[in-house]
Amino acid sequence: MDTKKRGDLHINGIGGSNGGQFEQVTINGRGTVKSDIDCDVFDCNGVATVKGSVKSEKAKVNGKVKVEGSLESQVLDVDGTATIKENLFVEKLTVNGHVSAGGRVKGEEFQIKGLFKAGGDCEAETFHAESHFSIDGLLNADDIDVKIYGECKVKEIGGQTITVRSRETLIGSLLKPFAKTQLVTDLIEGDRIDLESTSAKVVRGNNVKIGPDCSIGVVEYTGEIVIANNASVGESRKV
Amino acid sequence: MSEELISKKELLDLTGISYGQLYRWKRKDLIPEDWFIRKSTFTGQETFFPKEKILERIEKIQMMKENLSLDELANMFSPNVADLKLGENELIKRNIVSVTVLNLYIENEKGGPQLDFSRTLEAYVLEKLLQSGEINLDEGKMVVQILKDNRSIIKQKSGELVITRKLGVSSCLLLINTEAFHFENGTKVVSRTSLMHCMEELKAKLL
Repeated sequence: MDTKKRGDLHINGIGGSNGGQFEQVTINGRGTVKSDIDCDVFDCNGVATVKGSVKSEKAKVNGKVKVEGSLESQVLDVDGTATIKENLFVEKLTVNGHVSAGGRVKGEEFQIKGLFKAGGDCEAETFHAESHFSIDGLLNADDIDVKIYGECKVKEIGGQTITVRSRETLIGSLLKPFAKTQLVTDLIEGDRIDLESTSAKVVRGNNVKIGPDCSIGVVEYTGEIVIANNASVGESRKV
Repeated sequence: MSEELISKKELLDLTGISYGQLYRWKRKDLIPEDWFIRKSTFTGQETFFPKEKILERIEKIQMMKENLSLDELANMFSPNVADLKLGENELIKRNIVSVTVLNLYIENEKGGPQLDFSRTLEAYVLEKLLQSGEINLDEGKMVVQILKDNRSIIKQKSGELVITRKLGVSSCLLLINTEAFHFENGTKVVSRTSLMHCMEELKAKLL
């Protein structure tokens, strides 16, 4: 590695800068960075646009950040809005706000409260969400525990333990005729599956629990199955 | 592609692994992304795998996961290899390369007596081909040359080494991510070697 000390980049107020290697990048106010950033700490309070990719150890977003490339960080805390055009690779992701990635999302530990969107596959060891989310690819995690707000969409779900709970909010129940609180997916595969308010074409697992407000096409199970009275299941097969 | 496929359900039945394990291995890249083949069937979309490859891979994972962590396993199946340097004696002692082949390799490749992974792989491939009797010494020199020249590509991608002969003239080519290849009539394909496969064999021997 270079022995020279890397400098910091601070933007306070309105400003712009080229990218590069830094120790600390702080943007307070409104800032534009014109190319890739490689830094230890990326901290944004305000509105920031990065016309390239961001690579950091620790990133924190209070406010609004737009990254036109991809974002890679050990830790990412978002208490605002982060829009990433390409991939998002982050070991530990905490979201109290809004995160959307155009490409793949990959990491270890995801805690999401708010809005989450992924344009590709989403892979993690634990995926805990109390939010409204949409994933265009496969959601793959060891432990998936979600409470859904509004209509959530995922192409496919796979993992070991999959729990889906619905959280009716007051506004949600008022809007019910228009937008159902429901998780819509093609396929769910896991060892322990416990569902509520889920609409899926196929569910496959060992021990399956189909709770209220579910509408499932086919359920295939190897162990035990519990189906709630007000759930609709097209066909259930023990295999 | 004409290889036999196996559906995900059959695979789980056959190997006794769970969905959780399968997805975990996929996450850790123990099973390559392009082995997941999506096809629509009368029950909807289903995932299929190349049967022979996936069964072999799962057997390997199950066999080795007792001793190795998942991350170590992932490291082993990925084409980028940890830093490694072995002396000549070590290679001979571990039965990876025989003395004659190793001497031949070092003579042709003109490198030092310490072998890193790329060079170990080259020596190993040479050993395999020569021992099988499929190629002769001159062809062996060709093999070393082509592997040496394309070292950086081999490290990153899965390559295949093909040796052909026509009218007694032999030729050697390196294929990167190729599905199929065809030659004119009268060309004999002497040997096909998957370098990825060799890497895995070699890594299994080194660990």
